[in-house]
Amino acid sequence: MSATSPSVPALRMEGLSKRFGTTEAVADLSLAVPPGEVFGFLGPNGAGKSTTIRMLLGLLRPNTGTAWIFDVPASDVQRAHRHLAYVPADVALWPSLTGRECLDLLAGVGPGTDPAYRDELLERFALDPDRRARTYSTGNRQKVALVAAFATRAPLLVLDEPTSGLDPLMEREFRACIAEAARRGQTVFLSSHQLAEVEATCSRVGILRSGRLVEVAGLADLRRLHRAEVVVDLAAPATGLQRLADLPGVADLRWSSPVRLELSLTGPPGPVLRALGDADVARLEVREPSLEEIFLDYYGQAPA
Amino acid sequence: MTAAAIRQARRGTAIVAVLCAGMTALVAVQYRGLDGALGAESLTALAENPAIRTLFGPPVGLDTAGGFTVWRTGTVLAVLVGIWAALTATRLTRGEEEAGRFDLLLAGRLRLQALVARVLVVVLVAAAVIGVAGALGLVLAGTPVAGAAVFGAGLAGTGMIGAALGVLAGQLFPERRSASGLAVAVLLAGLLARMVSDGVPALEWLAWGTPFGLLGRSAPFAADRALPLLVLGVLVTAVAVLAVASAAGRDVGRGRVAGRDRRARPSRLLTGLSGLAVHRTRRPLAGWAAGAAAYFLLIGLLATSMTEFLRDNPAFADLAAQAGFAQLGSVQGYVAALFTLLAVVLGAFAAARVAATAGDEMAGRLTLLFALPVHRARWAVTEATVVGAATVVLAAAAGAAAWAGAAWVGAGLGLGQALAGALAGLPVGLLCLGAALAALGCAPSAVLAVGVTPAVGGYLLLVLTDTFGWPGVVRWFSPFAHLADVPAEPWNAAGAAGMVAVAVLLAAAGCLRYVRRDLRN
Ligand SMILES: Nc1ncnc2c1ncn2[C@@H]1O[C@H](COP(=O)(O)OP(=O)(O)OP(=O)(O)O)[C@@H](O)[C@H]1O
Ligand SMILES: [Mg+2]
Repeated sequence: MSATSPSVPALRMEGLSKRFGTTEAVADLSLAVPPGEVFGFLGPNGAGKSTTIRMLLGLLRPNTGTAWIFDVPASDVQRAHRHLAYVPADVALWPSLTGRECLDLLAGVGPGTDPAYRDELLERFALDPDRRARTYSTGNRQKVALVAAFATRAPLLVLDEPTSGLDPLMEREFRACIAEAARRGQTVFLSSHQLAEVEATCSRVGILRSGRLVEVAGLADLRRLHRAEVVVDLAAPATGLQRLADLPGVADLRWSSPVRLELSLTGPPGPVLRALGDADVARLEVREPSLEEIFLDYYGQAPA
Repeated sequence: MTAAAIRQARRGTAIVAVLCAGMTALVAVQYRGLDGALGAESLTALAENPAIRTLFGPPVGLDTAGGFTVWRTGTVLAVLVGIWAALTATRLTRGEEEAGRFDLLLAGRLRLQALVARVLVVVLVAAAVIGVAGALGLVLAGTPVAGAAVFGAGLAGTGMIGAALGVLAGQLFPERRSASGLAVAVLLAGLLARMVSDGVPALEWLAWGTPFGLLGRSAPFAADRALPLLVLGVLVTAVAVLAVASAAGRDVGRGRVAGRDRRARPSRLLTGLSGLAVHRTRRPLAGWAAGAAAYFLLIGLLATSMTEFLRDNPAFADLAAQAGFAQLGSVQGYVAALFTLLAVVLGAFAAARVAATAGDEMAGRLTLLFALPVHRARWAVTEATVVGAATVVLAAAAGAAAWAGAAWVGAGLGLGQALAGALAGLPVGLLCLGAALAALGCAPSAVLAVGVTPAVGGYLLLVLTDTFGWPGVVRWFSPFAHLADVPAEPWNAAGAAGMVAVAVLLAAAGCLRYVRRDLRN
């Protein structure tokens, strides 16, 4: 691990933008992530998350702006990449190489790997490294990249939707690895669609929409964004439930029939559950809204 | 689904069709323009030379524009169309399957076998279109329709064989690269068989088992035979049926030939950039070297049939000298003429390897590598160095094989001479490497096409200028104009230095662009 002063941000972007023909994939993006932070990078499909990350890695040239990794310009890959490890959204490996050969190659060319930790990670992610990459599923290929990235112990981990192919068990292992990395003081830049995953692992999030950063907030503020959709089916019509609308955190109370009500809930569900306790509830469904729904709610559909 | 395959094949089909029509029309029209100035005597002398026979097949009907055109361009075009069809077929079957796009298509009611059959039909039709184009070029140049039709059918049939072989190989192997390698290898083995059949009278029957031999046997514009074309049709049908049959009952994403899915001992090469470059070049080099060595072993073995011919025909040397082919009069001149072809192979190999890097980039396989502290220029230089070294090995393998063959029949060709002759083509290989690197920087989707241009384009340019006496300025632009006939002549050091300089310039320009541009995928 490199010796970096705590005042230097792990990554910093200033006025970064990228156009593909007429598409403005990323527009005037400025952001700094201090060392040791686990930062969640959210946004709907096509928001420009991968484009931002690929510019950060020097894989794409920004049209304007600059990015730095621990104060090294991102375009100086030979130096900047000594401080980071990357997991792409879509991991492609040479089909005839085995997983172990891919890991050996990445370790040999990369800035240094902890072989003992790598073997431990192989166990934890239940990856058979002696199989050829062509026999790997999407999730297995992702595991190869994850194992390689975590095993480097690089001070900055850049992860682009690293769990899109993982099953829930592996996803849990992934979260544990992130927590371990955070404990070791590694910085994590995690792009994701999964609000729950981000909530479980990140201390701060940035929300990207149509290539622009519309929100950078701590986790506490994120909870404010986080509403649940509650659907209640009643065995018999109940009159006393009209007062649900006055409870704290409840918004948008709708009766789709005399025995079915829907509402949006922000904050702890206790008061609502107590109020429902008096009624004859046949079925209760609590659904977290999709990231997209929150976006549409908070930022409207007007292009940013 | 069929529409997708058509979309992916139509550009290549158009290019190859235009090339076939253009080449045949151009040569036929030029031949007419000469109006017999070539001289029947010198033509016959040229055509009777075993070296030329081996290369272009038995000369028939050289006194007509059509016959001359077919003899001069037929083999080259047939090889081109066959290889193109084979590569297209493996790309549209195994390549698509490898990229996971078959999974999506097969999620519907379509079965794998039906899908494979449809793709095969698309490439078969593409080959037919190319055959028609080749014939059309001849007809437009004013040659008899019957001969043009026979030639077009032979050309189409060769393409169809390539297509069927490509699809078959795509069913056998789980990786596109090995499938392409197998299909092209079988096709080129067919070319070798044709050459053996033309050079060794006892093995003449071999011609009936290969599309190139059958094309020759059909003798367009001379005899216009239908039987060889019929046999070609049977051959196409057989391979096509085999290809579709072998698609049945296998799992998507896997091949009939089950390569081993596990390997417990990791390769020790794969711990650094240069190791990776060597690892990925090793197997293709072995394949190309085996092919080139087989070809040049045959060239060496045929050397005495030429010396005997010279002994029996003392008048030939004079005739050949008058026709400007004095060098062909010796074993050294004979192998030198054929080593010119090796230069094309060297260039194609170098371009194909750089194209593999471009392909890896498109498939996203370089993303993890470039996220490491690896400057793109470092990767490009490492890869170029290894490919350059591999090109030298390829040339040396061919030279050694030619020597071995010649030594076997006691033709009197020294090992040093053979190696010098083979290595003399290296500047063309490096020129192709440079052009391919330039394309990697500026036009990554056209690396192969741009990369082979100095070799293939330069070779065609030289053939055309020499046949029709175009001005020397045009000839100068062919890299082959700057190669001496080693070992019959001393090495052209100045020409080589010039070509290497151009290669280095092209490579440097390409690398500069490569490090600055966006990575694709
Ligand atoms: N190479 C490219 N050429 C043209 N357009 C591109 C290219 N790469 C990305 N885009 C466009 O840029 C925009 C941002 O894409 P990007 O991949 O960064 O989104 P994303 O936030 O990562 O989406 P997802 O969540 O689906 O991964 C999209 O509109 C996409 O179509
Ligand atoms: Mg993305």
